Amino acid sequence: MSGTMSYKGYWTIWGVLLVLTIVMIGIEALTLPGAVAILLLTAAMLTKATLIAGWFMHLRSETRFIMWCLVLGTLLTAAFLLFLLVPDGMDANRFAEYP
Amino acid sequence: MSQARMATARTHWEGGVTPFGMSWQKLMMWVFLLTDALLFAGFLASYAFIRLAAGDWPEQSEVFSMPLIATMTFVLITSSATMASAVGAAHRKDLNTAVRFVALTAIGGAIFLGMQAMEWTELIHEGARLSGNPWGPPAFSSFFFMITGFHGTHVLIGVIILSITAARARSGTATGDGVELAGLYWHFVDLVWVFIFTVFYLI
Repeated sequence: MSGTMSYKGYWTIWGVLLVLTIVMIGIEALTLPGAVAILLLTAAMLTKATLIAGWFMHLRSETRFIMWCLVLGTLLTAAFLLFLLVPDGMDANRFAEYP
Repeated sequence: MSQARMATARTHWEGGVTPFGMSWQKLMMWVFLLTDALLFAGFLASYAFIRLAAGDWPEQSEVFSMPLIATMTFVLITSSATMASAVGAAHRKDLNTAVRFVALTAIGGAIFLGMQAMEWTELIHEGARLSGNPWGPPAFSSFFFMITGFHGTHVLIGVIILSITAARARSGTATGDGVELAGLYWHFVDLVWVFIFTVFYLI
């Protein structure tokens, strides 16, 4: 087991996660332009995910090899899914042609 | 085979070598978590596709009780912090404290499930079904039940694993590594909720 922190360290991360969650709810409540809101929410979501994986799951103290396998594996899959599916989804009329 | 080569072969085939710098149990847990992450990635990507293609989509804040969702998120984040504290305590060989933190985590998970049951009950009373709903495209409620249902099932399994881990640690049969593996699973459940909370409830 490696990379464990003091209780204070874990609860500091908890505090940051909580603040980010409150900020995200605030962003949703504000009537920001769609693209700006999506950008801010995605940034906050990825920050939270990094904190959980890196500090709570101690991924940052694992070997670089396993860390990159996991990080690149998920990022590449996300990129594939995003760029293969989203362009078709945005063209609703084209989608409607295929029952 | 020379003595040196036999020794090397023995080292590699009879254990003791950890190519990823971690135990096999932990490596297999990471592999499982990666494949499970891909499952949820598929769900959320198909949700994004259908939502974009549907055009018209209900306003989430008008359908869901946002204070309830925010409280569920708070409970899950807090349970993740108690789980991390349990792993830290187990690492320091303080199994009594670890048991207390694992039990608190399991209670947090049970509270989350209770709130999710409330959310489902309310929406079902309002007419939400797998096949349709009063607010918009049928896919809206199908995705809601499928995504939150799968996540809720993970939470339920997590609560069971944590209860067993706490009992084993209390009886002295669980090791620090066992607590860490349960912790990895639980943090993953929290990690997935971060994505569901953002993509399904906020965006």
